[in-house]
Amino acid sequence: MGEVILTMKGIDKTFPGVHALDHVDFELKKGEVHALMGENGAGKSTLMKVLTGIYKKDSGSIIYEGKEVEFGNPREAQSAGIVIVHQELNMMNHLTVAQNIFIGREIMSGKLINDAQMNRKAKELFDLLNIEIDPTEKMGNLTVGKQQMCEIAKAISHEAKVIVFDEPTAALTESEIEELFKIIRDLRAKDMGIIYISHRMDEIKLITDRVTVMRDGAYVTTLISESCTKDDIVHAMVGRVIYEEPKVKSNVPKDAPVVLKVEHLKAGRLVNDVSFELKKGEILGFAGLMGAGRTETARAIFGADTKESGDIYVNGELVEIKSPQDAVKSGIGYLSEDRKRYGLAVQKTVAENSTLAALERYMKGLFIDKRKENEVTQQYIDSLKTKTPSTDQLVVNLSGGNQQKVVVSKWLVRNCDILIFDEPTRGIDVGAKSEIYHLMNELAKEGKSIIMISSEMPEILRMSDRIVIMCEGKKTGEMLIEEASQESIMHAATLRD
Amino acid sequence: MGTNNNKTNAAKRGIFTSAGATQKIVVILVIVALAVFFSVMSKPFRQYATLVSIFDYSYYISFMAIGVTFALITGGVDLSIGTGMITCGLVGGYVIAHKAMPVGVGILVALVIGLLFGLINAMTVAVMELPPFIATLCSMMLARGIGSILTGALSVTWPPAGSEQGWVRSFFKYKTEGGLLIPVGFLLVIIAVIVMSLILNHTRPGRYIIAIGSNKEATRLSGIKVRKYQGLAYLICGLFTGIAGIAYSCTFQAVAPGSGAGLELDAIAGAIIGGTSMNGGYGTITGTLLGVYVMSLLKTGLPYIGLQSNWQQIVTGIILIIAVLVDVLKNTKGK
Amino acid sequence: MKKKLLSYILCAALVGVLFAGCGKKEESATEETTETTETTTEETTETTTDTEVLNIEIVSKGFQHQYWQAVLKGAQQKAEELGVKINFVGPNSESDIADQVQMLNSAINAKPAAIALAALDTSACLDAITTAQAAGIPIIGFDSGVPDAPEGAVLANASTDNYAAGELAAEEGYKAGIGDRVKNATGTVRIGVLSQDATSESIINRGLGFIDKMAELVTADGKTVTVEGNDKFVSDSKVEKTSGADVVIEVLVPAQVTSELSSIDCQTLLNKSDLIAVYGSNQHSGEAMVTGDENLGKFGIGDDKILGIAFDSGAVIKQAVKDQKFIGAITQAPVAMGEVTVELCVKAAKGEAVSDVDTGCQWYTSETMDNPEIAQNLYD
Repeated sequence: MGEVILTMKGIDKTFPGVHALDHVDFELKKGEVHALMGENGAGKSTLMKVLTGIYKKDSGSIIYEGKEVEFGNPREAQSAGIVIVHQELNMMNHLTVAQNIFIGREIMSGKLINDAQMNRKAKELFDLLNIEIDPTEKMGNLTVGKQQMCEIAKAISHEAKVIVFDEPTAALTESEIEELFKIIRDLRAKDMGIIYISHRMDEIKLITDRVTVMRDGAYVTTLISESCTKDDIVHAMVGRVIYEEPKVKSNVPKDAPVVLKVEHLKAGRLVNDVSFELKKGEILGFAGLMGAGRTETARAIFGADTKESGDIYVNGELVEIKSPQDAVKSGIGYLSEDRKRYGLAVQKTVAENSTLAALERYMKGLFIDKRKENEVTQQYIDSLKTKTPSTDQLVVNLSGGNQQKVVVSKWLVRNCDILIFDEPTRGIDVGAKSEIYHLMNELAKEGKSIIMISSEMPEILRMSDRIVIMCEGKKTGEMLIEEASQESIMHAATLRD
Repeated sequence: MGTNNNKTNAAKRGIFTSAGATQKIVVILVIVALAVFFSVMSKPFRQYATLVSIFDYSYYISFMAIGVTFALITGGVDLSIGTGMITCGLVGGYVIAHKAMPVGVGILVALVIGLLFGLINAMTVAVMELPPFIATLCSMMLARGIGSILTGALSVTWPPAGSEQGWVRSFFKYKTEGGLLIPVGFLLVIIAVIVMSLILNHTRPGRYIIAIGSNKEATRLSGIKVRKYQGLAYLICGLFTGIAGIAYSCTFQAVAPGSGAGLELDAIAGAIIGGTSMNGGYGTITGTLLGVYVMSLLKTGLPYIGLQSNWQQIVTGIILIIAVLVDVLKNTKGK
Repeated sequence: MKKKLLSYILCAALVGVLFAGCGKKEESATEETTETTETTTEETTETTTDTEVLNIEIVSKGFQHQYWQAVLKGAQQKAEELGVKINFVGPNSESDIADQVQMLNSAINAKPAAIALAALDTSACLDAITTAQAAGIPIIGFDSGVPDAPEGAVLANASTDNYAAGELAAEEGYKAGIGDRVKNATGTVRIGVLSQDATSESIINRGLGFIDKMAELVTADGKTVTVEGNDKFVSDSKVEKTSGADVVIEVLVPAQVTSELSSIDCQTLLNKSDLIAVYGSNQHSGEAMVTGDENLGKFGIGDDKILGIAFDSGAVIKQAVKDQKFIGAITQAPVAMGEVTVELCVKAAKGEAVSDVDTGCQWYTSETMDNPEIAQNLYD
């Protein structure tokens, strides 16, 4: 490790309603791989966006190569030598590898582009990195791993001095990861500063030199990777004081019947052999970090994505779920995390949304029976305490919490006994949150069974009777609420085998 | 993704290259097959005049198709080229026939009108970010109306071949002293194909136009002025609309206002048959030209075997469905 | 911000164009009317004393073909002569049926003394015609008139008898060489008919007139004849269909009215070895004959050439007749038609009895086309 190349000091950034960065400090040395860790929403990405000029900081200073800098956009940062290798790759599939690497700064001979020269240069870059990629290959034909290598090559061709990797291994195979690590070590040997954002605990020990942990937008601590333990990191990540009282013990009797049983469910990379049970009247929390495969599991159960294998039993009976219609028939309702996109027709009225999934019951011949529709809608408005002036109100005019209630009423109208809540309180203010919590508890008490996917640790601990933890498509833990703690959940959530 | 030890990447071409190249070969085979088929089936087809006719009717579609290929590659479309082309021919012919201007001025006017439509489309699509389908549908109507208004809804006759002002027609069909007709317009088309291929594949504007069609957001993030190059594609399209207008006028001599709607579909069909992707990001000018010849061959050839123009439209429709299907399959395989 | 500004500029520019366009239109319209009214007022002061200036609305099929310009010319001449005011309108193209209906309604709203109408589609105009009847505005048909109009709605027609015009084309063509070739033929010979469509009354009649007359002439010379091709013409002609006839009349109609398809139809005919003549029944078909023959060079007057007969004029057809590529063509008398139309309108407006007038047609060749009698009906 050499001298310090980048220092961020007292970086503060507020968005309306959120204090995203609270006087964060960060330091990077030449020839160092510096991990940046934290839960979802801890502020890692925001910090990097401030660094590369996508966001403007409110206060604080960035010292790069001894000078204070403030970049106006990623391009300025790039030409200064700070480059991000994005998690989502930005590639033009129809152009060749070399054309992608040199886009916007083509090597010209006269008015024409000198593709031969560009191919040669690209080859040189790849040789430097010890990667074997044909520069004349179309980008779209490469694997995700190879594409990422191209991004790295592109970064290096910008004469980068600082490279930020944003969850680089998320989409890679085992062998690709090894190759990536080899490259990262090479870059380190060439005295570059590398910022490495990842959720994978084992990678931290394997590849990084130091770890900076963030939590809730604030700097927590910086540890030396070699000497710290996994526990140290986990503790730093979750060591917050929880204000809301966690649930102390499960409300579900031990002998409650199993209403949903999932066995060896497989669907793509992010649902890999998942098995669990859901009991009557239970709230089953699904915890994990971003990309753990929880939403994918829910979608596979609901029939929104096709599953490759695995069995689903509802009330002890094997059911064949091939589409959401099948799931609804079996009494499973899914409340998407993105209500506006998947859950609601926001330009329609409360009544129309409430009966959408069960419209055939509210028909009079060819026409919709408005009176009956309003009746049932009103009934659920009352029981869920939805705040709406009338059943004719457009859903778009309701608050987030009340929109959520309309989605719930939609599935209740359909007589669904199993409800999957995907991030039920995302984008909902604190007051409405507790109302949703109350609603879920009421539903459970009435005998409905709930799967609650949540990335918020306090929410998991407050609501769940039992907790299933996933990591990268696999179930890595299951515990009763009595045994659960932030640390134990986070351990399981970062477990790779 | 499990095992990927593809050390010889160069040998293993994926869907992003091979489909385009194979399609071109298939199209060439189709052209050859059609030509052989018509020649065998019909004696009158096997004459020099038929070849000249095929070329005659291919010029204006070729130029339109070359232009619209650029719009298609950006992931857009330009529906205004049909009526736009007629308007160019009308107004150009109007200044020659009714304002006593030399033919050169008429040609210039046609080109300028074409560029103006290109500019309007560039503004609405690239700058104001209207969906290309809607924006160019509007300019298609604009073109039809403007053509009628500027010429007082009169049909216009371009100077006939052989007359003093008729020299422009020799650019497309040259009559030797011995009376032999030489379809020299083919050379113009070939020159346009070479120049535009060069621009598309070996200059920055061309490269960026492909990049926009492939991934607009990524192109923007690469620091490229997306609007400028998207707009440029429509300007090129407009310029070729003007050239097509001249080619049309020279072929048919009489241009009627209010016509032209539907001709753009022939050009778009040609481009699609030639392998240009409706989703943008891929297309070649040579492929487009080949596609146009499939269309022209069908148009000219089918009547020789006793099938009227109704049949030609049915056959073209079927071929187009196949071409689009290939495009769709290509893309689903890519995912 | 920049984008917004540009949008505003573009909108402003569009609005500007709109106003400019409207302004221009009004200008030209007023020019025309002032022209006529000026002369009109002069005339009225001289000739008539008690009556007000009569207003006549003329709704044509459009200006797409110069033919209509000639009609307009005749109408203007007559209006000057009689001291009436005319307003001559027409849609952009002959397929804009709805536009024409709207123009007809506007014409009725102007409360003219009479309306002259060349309907694109009679059924679309029916409502308007009834309104005009109720308002007591007399309607005079011209050109193709108002075919199948309700009894009494149209007082009289000033039109070319298209069937007779077709017959004239057959007769003159037969005289000019078709007859000799038919008589001297050893095998089957073929006569092609190019028709723009099989829906327009006037175009169908021109075709049928030609076919029927040709068949009559051929039969009179002791040869047999049959018709093939487009079903409409085959079934509506008087010719009995037989196989192995000496003369085959073949009718081609394109799928769509485009120059290209009609030209290709002409080529298809020209490539048949037994072809002796082609008849194109309107300006569009005539022009397509010129384009279609361009590469083949088969039309002409020599023994080895194919005889071409066109209809109407226009620069292209006139040139072809002049160069003796076509043996001749039929021209209607658009100028006379314009004159007669206005004359009938004035009579009808004054309550005088009117009846149909055939405005006639003429056969012209390279020799007769400069004859002033004919030349006034030829246009570029």
